[in-house]
Amino acid sequence: MKKALCELGHYFEVTMHVIKMAFLTIIEYPSNIAGWLISNPLQFIVGFATIKFVVEAFGEINGWNYGQLAFLYGISVISHALSMIFFVQGWFMGYFVIEGEFDRYLTRPLGVLYQFFFTNINIFGITDLIPGILVFVYGCVKCQVHVNAWFLLQVIVMLIGATLIRGGIYILIGSTSFHTRNAVDFGQYTQEIMDKTTMYPISMYPESIQFILTFLIPIGWVSFYPVSSLLGIGNGFANGLLVPFLTLLIGILMMLLAGAYFKAGLKKYESAGN
Amino acid sequence: MIDVQNLCKDYTFKRKEPGIRGAVKSLFTNKRELIHAVRDLSFHIDAGEIVGFIGPNGAGKSTTIKMMSGILTPTKGSVLIGGEDITRHRKEVVRNIGVVFGQRSQLNWDLRLGESFELLKHIYRIKQSDYEETLDVMDSILGIKEIIDKPVRQMSLGQRVKGDLVASMLHSPSVLFLDEPTIGLDVSSKYALRKFIKEINEVRKTTVILTTHDLGDIQELCERIIIINHGVMMEDGNLSQIIDRIAPFKTLVVEYYDEIAPDHPSCEMIEHDGNIAKYKFMKNDTTAADLIAELSKLRPIRDVSIEEAGIDDIIRIAYGE
Repeated sequence: MKKALCELGHYFEVTMHVIKMAFLTIIEYPSNIAGWLISNPLQFIVGFATIKFVVEAFGEINGWNYGQLAFLYGISVISHALSMIFFVQGWFMGYFVIEGEFDRYLTRPLGVLYQFFFTNINIFGITDLIPGILVFVYGCVKCQVHVNAWFLLQVIVMLIGATLIRGGIYILIGSTSFHTRNAVDFGQYTQEIMDKTTMYPISMYPESIQFILTFLIPIGWVSFYPVSSLLGIGNGFANGLLVPFLTLLIGILMMLLAGAYFKAGLKKYESAGN
Repeated sequence: MIDVQNLCKDYTFKRKEPGIRGAVKSLFTNKRELIHAVRDLSFHIDAGEIVGFIGPNGAGKSTTIKMMSGILTPTKGSVLIGGEDITRHRKEVVRNIGVVFGQRSQLNWDLRLGESFELLKHIYRIKQSDYEETLDVMDSILGIKEIIDKPVRQMSLGQRVKGDLVASMLHSPSVLFLDEPTIGLDVSSKYALRKFIKEINEVRKTTVILTTHDLGDIQELCERIIIINHGVMMEDGNLSQIIDRIAPFKTLVVEYYDEIAPDHPSCEMIEHDGNIAKYKFMKNDTTAADLIAELSKLRPIRDVSIEEAGIDDIIRIAYGE
């Protein structure tokens, strides 16, 4: 137990240092900051403006009113931003595999996945957090939710779970490169799919797609199920105040599955010829 | 220190036929071929040794060194470092090894060199006093403090390799793996690198395993060499003994006054160009002095020089050329 805590402390210490280095890198290239600060938030603000337009034209989407949609959209963007900070490297895992970039992680006394994600931590993901939080707070106000400790706990738990689900999906797709020895540039596609399935209620899709998003690729749990149960909107499947915790559970399971698949892939890792 | 037992590594690959037709065909067939990159290597390395791995490109040197440093998982066999299996206890065992691959850097490209060192200090939990002491030692060997504040992306290759060497030694590993460390380096950087390897071996008793194509590295550093070809061990032993055994000859280079070069039964003419002729003779059959005397009886000699059989002869013979 003491050893495990000591180990955890070690990882924490390294993480802090890595974050410091990430900030140093940002300062090294200051012109990038402006670009990210403008383009990233704008992307989501425009996205949200589209929803506003649609809702104003049609009244509501599938039983979700404007405020509830804002709430859902906010949660989706925040979890997207968190996954961008911690797990965006997963999008490029194939290139790391093919170019032999895992060599250096394998020769250091820390977990390989940990090093892969955290030594490349993407502090710029914070720029996605800003629009997410803005829209989320706006949604909270519109829905007149009672903000208390229990509500905050549910939101945090749901966000952690959602981030883990997204990260797990990135790792699962990225790890296929160990077997195919091909780099799949899947980042853009997954983001498109994730955007379309987490920013809007999935109850608007055909049942077959809902089934896939619930059981096969558990994207429905990123935002739709926990938010609808939190706001008391019937989703016909998972209701109740514990659904955010279910999201966390599914996130942990996804991570365990992804970690095992990654580990199996790493055994087949071939480095790159010199 | 290091025990390698029956180490094997197989790769599979799909043979592709030429052209679009071949490419489409390979989509539907599943003919995989097996390559035995490393076959059944076993050897033991004692603490404090410097061992050179040599062999042609694709011989399996890098594959072997990558299995020994925990990067690749062996198909069969095991690598024990300090008695522990590196495949099974990677995190514990790699604490004790340092790795430098000539064509790959573990340094952070965007930041000053010192930041990469600081990160390693945290990763390996190096005490501040030990860290500073190692840096001082490294400064005296490589002059690292001159470049510690320079961003890695602005460094020359020689400086970058110096940075990588220091990075690999910060946690004072007992084994250092170097995969083609001198590749692309100029003469003075090569000299610094060799001095570095000798010093850490003498002062810190670090065991060094290196692969190289630079015969100078081998001659200057390694007492023991392991020659690998097609994944099989061809030779393992003391460098000068191997030379005596598989290349027991010298080469006599003779410059005559004209273009007529005589033959002699106790030697073999291997090259004749203008006034200059090269003779190969066995060390056991005759001596250079006798041979010069004999040849000078046949034609007047202007100048001579003697070339020892070197590592390149060994390699040529061992590779079967």
